[in-house]
Amino acid sequence: MLALKSPVIARSLHKWLGLFVGLQVLIWLGTGLYMVLVDIDFIHGDPLVRNMQKTVLVPDLSMPGIASLREQYQDATKISLRPVMGKTFYGVTTVDHRYLVDPETGEVKSPLDEKTAREIAKYHYAGEAQVSNASLISSNPPSEIQTRRLPLWRIDFNDRFASSFYIDPYNGSLATRRHQYWRIFDFLWALHIMDYQDRSDAHNRLLIAAQIAGLTFGITGLWLLLYSFSGRRRKKEAPIR
Amino acid sequence: MMQLLKKLHKWVGLLIGIQVLLWLLSGLVISLIDPVKVSGRQWASPAVAEPQFFGPTTLLEPAELPAEHVKDALGIDLTIRHGKPVYLIRRTGGETLVNGVDGSLVTIGKSDAEQLALQDFNGDGEVISVEQGMAPDMETRDHSGAYWRIDFSDWANTAIYIAASTGKILERRNSYWRVRDFFWMLHIMDYSGRENFNHPLIITVALVAIWLGISGFLLLFGSFSRNDFFFLRFPGKRDDVVITLIDPMTADPRQVVIRRGSNLFLSLATHGVSLPSLCGGGGECGKCRVRFEIAGLPETKDLDLRLVPKRLREKGYRLACQHIADNNMTLYLPEGTLALLK
Repeated sequence: MLALKSPVIARSLHKWLGLFVGLQVLIWLGTGLYMVLVDIDFIHGDPLVRNMQKTVLVPDLSMPGIASLREQYQDATKISLRPVMGKTFYGVTTVDHRYLVDPETGEVKSPLDEKTAREIAKYHYAGEAQVSNASLISSNPPSEIQTRRLPLWRIDFNDRFASSFYIDPYNGSLATRRHQYWRIFDFLWALHIMDYQDRSDAHNRLLIAAQIAGLTFGITGLWLLLYSFSGRRRKKEAPIR
Repeated sequence: MMQLLKKLHKWVGLLIGIQVLLWLLSGLVISLIDPVKVSGRQWASPAVAEPQFFGPTTLLEPAELPAEHVKDALGIDLTIRHGKPVYLIRRTGGETLVNGVDGSLVTIGKSDAEQLALQDFNGDGEVISVEQGMAPDMETRDHSGAYWRIDFSDWANTAIYIAASTGKILERRNSYWRVRDFFWMLHIMDYSGRENFNHPLIITVALVAIWLGISGFLLLFGSFSRNDFFFLRFPGKRDDVVITLIDPMTADPRQVVIRRGSNLFLSLATHGVSLPSLCGGGGECGKCRVRFEIAGLPETKDLDLRLVPKRLREKGYRLACQHIADNNMTLYLPEGTLALLK
């Protein structure tokens, strides 16, 4: 190889690296294009939700309060006031459990049933579509709620985004929302960072190896560009006999 | 078609090649830096695992808290912070902490902040400075409200940010994060805020860059020939041809043995015979002309027609980079090509 002149080396490297990482570079460009084109707030589902910033109404002293909850749940580590569909509830977190409590009656409302979960989903849903399906996910969660605490009610809406709202049956909150464009984003992200399992680790060897090859590929490309545009001006013919 | 693609590839490369290189480079740097160090978890004490209970103390009911603290609250949590029962109150503007026993507003002073930072940090260094910030800067851009910044003397230059209202650890920043964040800025091309990747500049460049990728990918198919994969054939099944090279300036012809079917320009180059070229065998500069003997003259290729004048083509001149060694042959090289060799 030592005998080869640099443009020959650059061209061979560019060609062979192109064979090995060309497709991945194209995938990086394509997936990157989707990510920059589609607004991230839309991906997060912000336009799909409403009623997310409701204030709580502090229960007056005539109702059973913190003191009685502490009495009842001796191992409580947190007691919250949280809005569920505009009404304020107590949320009690103990060492190994969570409860949603009606502040007026002291009645435990959790775990919420399907009907209530549907109502909560509709309360937060900003679209017009109807609920198409509801299911309780207690194990083997789909990858889109991989990191979330289970169980969760999954409420699907019949809209063009194939929206799914996930309702926590123990505190009545909208845990998260997913839709088709989020799912596409997530899949493309996996391709972008070449972590096909968890889709979250950008510090993996496969990616780094491809990036080193890709960077060399890019450098040789730019290097070739220099030759390609410098040759344009000189028109001297090679000496021929 | 291939020529058009090549042209497209070159011009798009000229236009945005530098940014594509920056994407590749910044992507590599971002992946290389260990995320555990970037997030500062590497030098953070593990979170307290044991549950913390309220104990027997009588606590205020939410209704007994001063009204200005609970007004417009989005959520109120009674919890234990720093060993004491407190109400954490969330509002649109941020969070506040109220003492659960007497209803007084908890504020995190300078020494409290330093104490909290020292509890969190388990790296190798001392506190250098504790400073207050009133509004988010680049390192606290995901937060709002006043904070304390505690700088440490460790070699990673750790700075721990603590919310002045709640004592919450907002961020753990260090040199790893700062380097990563710089390259992240280059990657998403948001040079001021470093967080928006849906802006017109990057969309435009990405729309142009995709053509670099598509044209390059298509060109890949044209740039390989079957012979490039000779190493996949059975070993021992070598099939060579002899090329006799004549340079009018040297007396003796020279012979090289190369694989049948290989590219003339490249295989001569690997034998140390460098034909004149600017583009390195890309079929762009038209300099690697050699004269074939009329008897074995190959058909002209597209690029011969474009880059070799007609009178020379008729004399037997072709571009070496466009032809293969299909048989034993004699080639007349430009004057002095061999003279430069020993």
